[in-house]
Amino acid sequence: MVVGNPGRARAILVGRLALLSLGAVVLMIPFIYMVATSFKPNTLVLEIPPQIIPHHPTIANYTSAWTSNRFGRYFLNSLFVAIATTAAALLLSSMMAYAFARFRFPGRRVLFGLLLIGLMVPGMMVLIPQFLLAKQLLLLNSLWGLIVFYTGGNLALNTFLLRSFFQDIPFELEEAMVVDGAGPWTRFWRLILPLSRPALAIVSIFTFLASWDEFTWALTTINDPGKYTLPIAIALFEGQHSTSWGLVFAASTIAVVPAIAIFVVFQRQFISGLASGALKA
Amino acid sequence: MFERAIRATAGVLESSVPFSSVEVSSVMKVKRLNAVLVLLVLVGVTAGIAAARVTAPQKTTTITFWDAYSTGGAEVQHLEKTIIPAFEKSHPGIVVKDVTIPYDSLHQKLVTAVAGSQLPDLVRSDIIWVPELANLGVLAPLDQALPDFKSLSATVYPGPLATNYWKGHYYGLPLDTNTRIWVYNPAALTAIGASGPPTTFAQLKSMSAQAKAKGYDLYAESGTSCWNVCPWIWSNGGSVTNKTYTQATGYLNGPKSVAAIQMLVDLYKAGQMPGIIVDSNAGLGTYDGINQNKYVATLDGPWAFAIFAGAYKNTKLAGSLIPAGPSGSVSVVGGEDIVMTKSSKNKTAAEEFMRYMLGSFAQTQMARAGQMPVIKTSSKWLTKIHPYYATYLKQIANAKPRTPTPKWTQIDQVITTDVAKAFQGSESVQQALTEAATQIDGLLK
Amino acid sequence: MTASSSSTSISGFLGRSVTSLRPRPRVNPRRRRELAAAYLFLGPGFLLFALIILYPIVRAFQISLYRWSIVPGTASTFLGLHNYGRALHDPLFWRGLENAGFYMAVTVPAQIVLGMAVAVLLNAHMPARAFFRAIYYLPVVTSWVVVSLLFRYLFITDGGFINGELHLNIDWLGQRWTAMLVLSILGIWKGIGWSMVIFLGALQSVPRELHEAAAVDGAKALRRFRAVSLPAIRPVIAFVTILLVIGGFNVFISVYLITQGGPLDETQVLLTYMYREAFSYLDFGYGSALAFVLTLIVFVLALVQLRLFRRPSEAV
Repeated sequence: MVVGNPGRARAILVGRLALLSLGAVVLMIPFIYMVATSFKPNTLVLEIPPQIIPHHPTIANYTSAWTSNRFGRYFLNSLFVAIATTAAALLLSSMMAYAFARFRFPGRRVLFGLLLIGLMVPGMMVLIPQFLLAKQLLLLNSLWGLIVFYTGGNLALNTFLLRSFFQDIPFELEEAMVVDGAGPWTRFWRLILPLSRPALAIVSIFTFLASWDEFTWALTTINDPGKYTLPIAIALFEGQHSTSWGLVFAASTIAVVPAIAIFVVFQRQFISGLASGALKA
Repeated sequence: MFERAIRATAGVLESSVPFSSVEVSSVMKVKRLNAVLVLLVLVGVTAGIAAARVTAPQKTTTITFWDAYSTGGAEVQHLEKTIIPAFEKSHPGIVVKDVTIPYDSLHQKLVTAVAGSQLPDLVRSDIIWVPELANLGVLAPLDQALPDFKSLSATVYPGPLATNYWKGHYYGLPLDTNTRIWVYNPAALTAIGASGPPTTFAQLKSMSAQAKAKGYDLYAESGTSCWNVCPWIWSNGGSVTNKTYTQATGYLNGPKSVAAIQMLVDLYKAGQMPGIIVDSNAGLGTYDGINQNKYVATLDGPWAFAIFAGAYKNTKLAGSLIPAGPSGSVSVVGGEDIVMTKSSKNKTAAEEFMRYMLGSFAQTQMARAGQMPVIKTSSKWLTKIHPYYATYLKQIANAKPRTPTPKWTQIDQVITTDVAKAFQGSESVQQALTEAATQIDGLLK
Repeated sequence: MTASSSSTSISGFLGRSVTSLRPRPRVNPRRRRELAAAYLFLGPGFLLFALIILYPIVRAFQISLYRWSIVPGTASTFLGLHNYGRALHDPLFWRGLENAGFYMAVTVPAQIVLGMAVAVLLNAHMPARAFFRAIYYLPVVTSWVVVSLLFRYLFITDGGFINGELHLNIDWLGQRWTAMLVLSILGIWKGIGWSMVIFLGALQSVPRELHEAAAVDGAKALRRFRAVSLPAIRPVIAFVTILLVIGGFNVFISVYLITQGGPLDETQVLLTYMYREAFSYLDFGYGSALAFVLTLIVFVLALVQLRLFRRPSEAV
């Protein structure tokens, strides 16, 4: 689409790549160090000054981490909760965002304001009231309880995000469908959602990560070691007087894999030209 | 191949309702996204079913035991693989569910559990939380609950036992104990020209100067809380409060306490103590520093030896008693107590497990994992497990507990902040300690 | 509503025949269906949200009005707004607010600008695009514990990497503002990928026709960006700004792990202070009050931002 000479285009591309690579290297350094440390043996403490290349690389930390007390089970627990939470959050928040973006109804501003407030109150001070609530709802000590609370906890952010995206979809498209006799559900399902693939992808990526990484609520409500989630498992590698950091880093690297995998899968939705062609209709 | 499966699933999911004006391919892609989501949910649900499957318990009493043993080390291994099976074998009908919680989060989880009435039967609690929990009324007073309390308590060291005392009752029994001794690198000691570790305050001062001349810091301390500085206060004859723990003014800011802190501040101001005592990010931690020949010694518990053996193989540690002041060499008691909650529905079974954990089998097992035992008879065999325990046994004989009071955490923070001010120089030692004592008086009420 | 009730009473009084002549102002059935649809879309999610989030918030506010006793069944002393007054007179509260405010002021613009820059760079067709996107997102998924530890080791005064390599002797983490700066750098590093992802999605959603039209008019890339893309994604920029401000004021875990709010409470932020008061000292009433003061501040800021970012045509 760029109109101009190919030489200039190539120069721009090289410049782009150079800039991106520089930034990427800076951003990657701590991650590289984390991975490098995970391959070092017996790391109770980190070396000062830090050394990037391990002298005697070993995968002992990874085998230790994986074979330790039910690590695989905790991994699956987290996976189950994260996937279910993402699916539920996608559905509920897109519906709410559509209502906020497209309809005018009494109380719209108040309800949206309440949504914002929900986003702003620090979670740690709501912990005990939520704990008491979970107890009343019989959702303590259960993975399903985690799903319910994680979904509820992510609704405000996701709805706010999706509303911002939905507001950008030209209303003319929907009007055309209204003229055709399409009801709100059809417009939602056939027009808004397909045009919001990038936004839905973002919601999926972020909700998965939020659920995957969540520690405090899981720790507070789960009392059955069999139902522990991955963040708890990793925290357990930290001891009272000393921590085997190689083990923690190895476990953390393992934990990064699904989060990045979800990102890679869903970032394919960031393909431009989605809304193009639709305007022509 | 995966693509084909997705397309097939998408085809199956395709609804028969005619499409509207939106591009067909766009809808197909939505269908594919739907399909991917459905597949993921299926995978997730299967994982969830697998994860949620729990074997039904038999007709037994299950007691829940919360602890903060580290999973990385041998403690959980010994507990879950040796002690609990042995207990369950000798006590058929009782099943022990061990719940390991990261140490940094245990207090927070306990607090939330109190608020929601979700406490377990037994908890391995840090000794400094026992008065707080007892004051909240959630612990069972063992001197009333256990008919054999007198004989049980006679088997354990008095210092650790005293950490369970609150307002006339004992709310727990000690489970494991520890104390701080003078831990040093003999090679570094030789390098600074000393023949042995300092045994008196005077030697501490002279050796610190000696070490400085050779480019070492003799004594590295990692903070200014009571755990860090109280041994010096007590060895000098001072104290934090009076004997009944009701007043700090006149004691924490008394001449002997002030002199003890002043001694350390003087070392710090002379550049003979590293900055990490005030700011943990000022330099290397105590272990790294000793290993890299920057520091000679620190005060630490028995875990230091295990840590060095595992991570710092080139440095051999040795231990000796804390340099003695006018009142002798007095260290601080640490450790954990085992407490039973009032809300426990299985008190008899819980008491059985408590007795077992205090028996010589369990105490020996945990000693192998690095947990110093609390039973008096352990002095006979402890040094066979690890020779360095010998100094710890000597030191713990007259070690003192920190003030047993519900607001200890807050009091400790006051001490930490005000003593740090004295080190920083923004206040004199007398000023800082008087400030602290006044605040602590209010907290002791 | 009022119209229909008055017509009912009139019709009751006069008899239906008279009022049936007058055109009855009734709620348009289409409008009623739209309302019903709105509530149906909103309902399930909002009910869950109200249950899981709003109700506990109300309870937490209740707690802030008491010297709350955590043991169930024991009496709590009613304090009214005493905890709030205490907060306003508490120097540590103000310090926490200042520190969190500094963190917010440094991290928010940086994350927006850098996130946008990377999103623009990664928006075009270019080789290894997915690879670069994943790299920039990696810090977001890396655990706070790990990166906090690493940053700590970088900035230790005596023996840390930065001071060692650059031959400096700056007491990075021991002084208030340098420590907050280091924490802010960590926050920016970790957050760029987050705003990048959102801006990327938003830029993708801009209809290509708008760009084409502008290109035909002769606008170069930068001009097109400022004239077409930025205005088009305005609601998204508003969203990102508001969320980042919330996140900035709510900084916790990195401070907790790196400085613990020290030394001497110099680097306390609102949440570390709140955590200590509530979970260490068991003063949940005060902790809750601190939380609501913070919420109020952030809420007011959010309203201001929403107004600033509002398009002239739309009503919020």
